[in-house]
Amino acid sequence: MTVPTSPLSTANATIGYGRVAVSEGLTVDIPEGEFTVIIGPNACGKSTLLKALARTLRPSAGRVLLDGRDIHAQSTRSVAKRLGLLPQGPTAPDGITVADLVARGRYPHQGLLRQWSAEDEAVVAEAMEATAVTDLAARGVDELSGGQRQRVWIAMALAQQTPLLLLDEPTTYLDITHQIEVLDLCAELHRKGRTLVAVLHDLNQAARYATHLIAMRDGAVVAEGPPADIVTADIVDEVFDLPCVIIDDPETATPLVIPRSVRPAPVAAV
Amino acid sequence: MSTVPAPLRSSGTGRTSVLRLGGYSVRLRRRTLAAAVGCLLALAAVAAWSTSTGTFELAPDRLWATLTGSGTAAEDFVVWTVRLPRLATAVGVGACLGLAGAIFQTLTRNPLGSPDILGLTQGASVGALAAIVLAGASAAAVTGSAALGALGTGLVIHLLTRGSDPSGYRIVLVGIGLAAILAGVNGYLLTRSDIIDAARAVFWLTGDLSGREWGQAATVAAVLAAGGIATFAIGRGLDALRLGEAAAAGLGANVRAVKATALVSASILTAGGVAVAGPLAFVALAAPHIAARLTGSSRSLLCAALVGALIVAAADAAALYGVDGRQLPTGVVTGVIGGVYLMWLLITQRKKGVMP
Repeated sequence: MTVPTSPLSTANATIGYGRVAVSEGLTVDIPEGEFTVIIGPNACGKSTLLKALARTLRPSAGRVLLDGRDIHAQSTRSVAKRLGLLPQGPTAPDGITVADLVARGRYPHQGLLRQWSAEDEAVVAEAMEATAVTDLAARGVDELSGGQRQRVWIAMALAQQTPLLLLDEPTTYLDITHQIEVLDLCAELHRKGRTLVAVLHDLNQAARYATHLIAMRDGAVVAEGPPADIVTADIVDEVFDLPCVIIDDPETATPLVIPRSVRPAPVAAV
Repeated sequence: MSTVPAPLRSSGTGRTSVLRLGGYSVRLRRRTLAAAVGCLLALAAVAAWSTSTGTFELAPDRLWATLTGSGTAAEDFVVWTVRLPRLATAVGVGACLGLAGAIFQTLTRNPLGSPDILGLTQGASVGALAAIVLAGASAAAVTGSAALGALGTGLVIHLLTRGSDPSGYRIVLVGIGLAAILAGVNGYLLTRSDIIDAARAVFWLTGDLSGREWGQAATVAAVLAAGGIATFAIGRGLDALRLGEAAAAGLGANVRAVKATALVSASILTAGGVAVAGPLAFVALAAPHIAARLTGSSRSLLCAALVGALIVAAADAAALYGVDGRQLPTGVVTGVIGGVYLMWLLITQRKKGVMP
């Protein structure tokens, strides 16, 4: 058996809903220790890919491999110890407190007679510390702002103590300040050694925060690699049909996409 | 891990206590514990009242003597043959319905998810009415047929809602559809019946506990035990499901198995409860909401079962002795209590602007 080069990958996978295949024969490797961001236009299959990687969707053909073994041949609990998931727009039960929600992250480490070990307590405290929600511990999740709430959900996934963390559009419905706050937190987690995979809508944020980009269109991977190689005028036009110029972000020197003001009109002007 | 000073250690949050012994740990929420003890005490009070009141009254010392085996023949008959089996059946039926309601509300993530709304009660009624109207069946056959009706409805819901249901609405919509169809069938069966069968059918449809014997109490107890054990086994997964299917799966819950087991055990509990007592209105809907208010959390299925038991036992006692000496069917009283409670819930929610 070969040594897996990537902790999480798809091998020739056909993924979709019911009989409708979104992606066919998709092979993607998530590189270890990178902050991978999947980008692409609406309905390009990026969230579908993330769901397949998270074991939420079962490929109708091909395989998804976690640590070199078929993810669907592994138990839900052992997968949950390797891979944490922040689903899109998660809903907390009414009246639940921050501490209680974060504590749910210990689920795969607990059992009927192992409900709350000293380790659980320490890990939950650490997760709340890392996401700066310790002061909110006793508050109800439904009283929080969108950004705080998202940080609490990330804390829950952290309490799961998985080397891999998958985030499905973690910045959706947040205002710009909270988007940056959540992305800064992701970057911090990546620096501390986690492998992250996120689906993002904003190309410039993806270019700024990702260390590895996967660009998708029509269910297929168009390009992948470091943002500096992927975010080029040609590739952006190919993936998004958007004529643009690329400049250096004055803050981070990462590529910044500037859409052109004059675009070729689809119909000749009168 | 760091040392835990004593086998018994309390966590710092102040709301929960943790008992630890070696590698084992159990978490207890203090308010939930207090609510459960409160329900048990209230249940004991209702039991003492309903076994000693009525046309044959027993003083507390005589009730105690009878319970401990030194009562007169008359006392023994009234307590052990007439009142206790009825009380035990009421407690068992209430616990079944309360637990079933709590499971359905968790499963559908909907405060209205109850067997009354999802068609299981109507399915049981079709079973009972078919037995009464078409076959003129015995009471035992009516009970069996009602149980089959509820189980069959649960099975149809399961078959029609397999697979992913991220919003939790599919079970509700399918259930509402089934409830409408089955209510139509019930109406048809009633119009086909002669006056004697129709009277019997309407009485069954109201829900009543009069004349229940130990055999029926034992049946309900067995159903409650089976459903309770199955629910306990999936309790953790059911709790994870409150976060939504995707998050629950991400935490390592086997969502498909948990949902299927939850639907089956809630159907069995409903079938057992309704088959023995008839469709006692609103118990399954109201009990989990009352339990959630008492415990301050919708997580305790045990409290929902206890509240259900308390509602039915109290309603049955009220039906027997409460209204100007005339006995009422139990279902009339649970319907009034449940309906008033639901109105109160809706009004207070509107003031607060939130759902429970």
